[in-house]
Amino acid sequence: MGNLPFAIGFVVVVALLAVTHRLWVPALGHGAASTWRIAKITVAEARRRRVVQAVVVLVLLVLLFMNFFSYLNPREQARMIISGGLSAITVFGILLAIFVAAFLIPQELENRTVYAVLSKPVRRFEFVLGKYLGAMIILAVIMTIMTVVLVGVLLVQDHFVPDFDHSVFEPNLDNVIFAAVMSYFAVAVLAAYIVLISTVSSTAMTVIASFLIWAIGSLQSQIHDLAEAAETVFQKWFFTMFYWIMPPLENFDFRHEVSNFMHVSYRAGINAAGEGVLYIIIVLIVASIFFNDRQM
Amino acid sequence: MVSDEIVLQIEGLSKIFRSLFAPTGVKAVDSLSLSVRRGETYSIVGPNGSGKTTTLKIVLGLIFPTSGTASIFGGNVADVSVRERIGFLPEDAYLYDVFTGEELLDFYAGLFGYPARRRKELVDELLSLVGMQANRRVPFRECSKGMRQRLALAQALVNDPELLILDEPTSGLDPAGRHQMTELIFELKRRGKTILLCSHFLAEVEEVCDRVGIMYRGRLVAEGTLAELAGAPTEIVITTSGLAPEGASRVGAHSAVLGIDGDAVRMGQESSDELWSVLDAIREAGARVGEVRRPRPSLQDVFVRAIRQDAGEQDVAEEVH
Ligand SMILES: Nc1ncnc2c1ncn2[C@@H]1O[C@H](COP(=O)(O)OP(=O)(O)O)[C@@H](O)[C@H]1O
Ligand SMILES: [Mg+2]
Repeated sequence: MGNLPFAIGFVVVVALLAVTHRLWVPALGHGAASTWRIAKITVAEARRRRVVQAVVVLVLLVLLFMNFFSYLNPREQARMIISGGLSAITVFGILLAIFVAAFLIPQELENRTVYAVLSKPVRRFEFVLGKYLGAMIILAVIMTIMTVVLVGVLLVQDHFVPDFDHSVFEPNLDNVIFAAVMSYFAVAVLAAYIVLISTVSSTAMTVIASFLIWAIGSLQSQIHDLAEAAETVFQKWFFTMFYWIMPPLENFDFRHEVSNFMHVSYRAGINAAGEGVLYIIIVLIVASIFFNDRQM
Repeated sequence: MVSDEIVLQIEGLSKIFRSLFAPTGVKAVDSLSLSVRRGETYSIVGPNGSGKTTTLKIVLGLIFPTSGTASIFGGNVADVSVRERIGFLPEDAYLYDVFTGEELLDFYAGLFGYPARRRKELVDELLSLVGMQANRRVPFRECSKGMRQRLALAQALVNDPELLILDEPTSGLDPAGRHQMTELIFELKRRGKTILLCSHFLAEVEEVCDRVGIMYRGRLVAEGTLAELAGAPTEIVITTSGLAPEGASRVGAHSAVLGIDGDAVRMGQESSDELWSVLDAIREAGARVGEVRRPRPSLQDVFVRAIRQDAGEQDVAEEVH
């Protein structure tokens, strides 16, 4: 990733904010409060439905289960736990993002709960942002718990596993936490896309589309290769567009480097995070525009 | 208490729903114009599918008209400042079902930016008003239809709105629930609220509304006060007892009598001399006079009449009820 995409993204964000300024400028004070209230009730509702509890129990089981295997040597054991743990965090995070985010808005329309909210002094984009923010809080809590559990498992193992001369149990905690945070960014970007789709389609369609976007977003480098190898101008143009429109989920995946004790570039992570935030802002602005025109 | 100030103005409103299955579209609302004045209770009445909910949703900015305009307090409902002054009870209202009545009302009051203390007082007040104090900690999903409807009304009242928009406030309720809801609407009317409501069942709203607009197939086919719509009484009905068949035929021969249905003698709006002479004829036939009434046509009749006129004399009676 050079700096050019960044610059382009920045220009796009500024342009979008400028074009839509009439939507959000007058709303800054009051709007922030409404957005926050919607976010809070979204979180409260998930708590009542015991979403968090259910997931945490599931993840604990998976992580604990991994401790019952015995491995060839301490280094291998650390590798397996880190790799399995980070994969569990990523996959659970993504699956949860899909199920939480895909239901956020369509469910409100299908249950008709949206009428009582949108007939109040709540702007539609505040509703979209509040829902997204609520989902991100729920996911942050769940992913933090999962990460804390993984770190705990690594610390305990580090204490009990005897090190060999040539092979030590290396918990690699800094990098494990870094990789988990990057997974959260992937989840946040994907959730924004899901919210965007959900503003124009039903729950079922949104879930299906979310899985597709996850798959495509994880194959970004292949799409890039396709664009490079394109034979016609149209193909090149098509794949390049596709490459830029889909979420760059691959950039957030540091599992391989971390679990193999390779050099991890924090700089690459920070770049990816910055790019992710740009994607989130653009996608949520588009989602708000779509939702603004939606017939309830 | 009705003033001349116009609170809600709908002008030439039309809404066509287009879809894959109906590419030419369904005309849900068709050139609808009406206005509601401050303090007035206006009811849109029409059979299911006549476009009432669509109209209210457009008024609230939840959907957008194909043509025409709706303005509230002279402004656009898209403005937050307009929505601060209105309350809406949706059709078959459903609220976040994991929360209790008090939690829900606190949330909705929060959307107006009220501080916590004020919200607490407000929630107490509203729960009392709608008779939900005892059930304030029951989750919405465990509430009966009547309780849900009352919570949904309370939700529409958190901002003490000047204009209330109620979509089928009484439908789906049992007789007791309907009575409670009607009483509540009366109370709100007493408090000076302007109310726009709609219903598919005229008898349920007849008593509360000042004016009625009859809607059919998206169009307003008649509008006016109850008295205007019903028109002046057109006949006199005399209830009798002990009217034997041969006596009945003698009374029926009287020029002013229109017909006899069992014990009831119906006559036109003639002079009082004619009334006395019919009464004499009844007495001479050996029957006693019970009651003399000048009934207005029921609104149900007006309803059917208005719709018939509009539909070109098609048989619509069963569609009405
Ligand atoms: N979202 C929609 N899409 C397509 N048609 C609709 C939609 N909403 C309502 N309609 C149609 O518009 C007409 C009026 O519906 P509605 O306003 O709900 O009537 P009412 O409230 O008087 O029962 C009906 O024929 C209904 O099928
Ligand atoms: Mg309706």
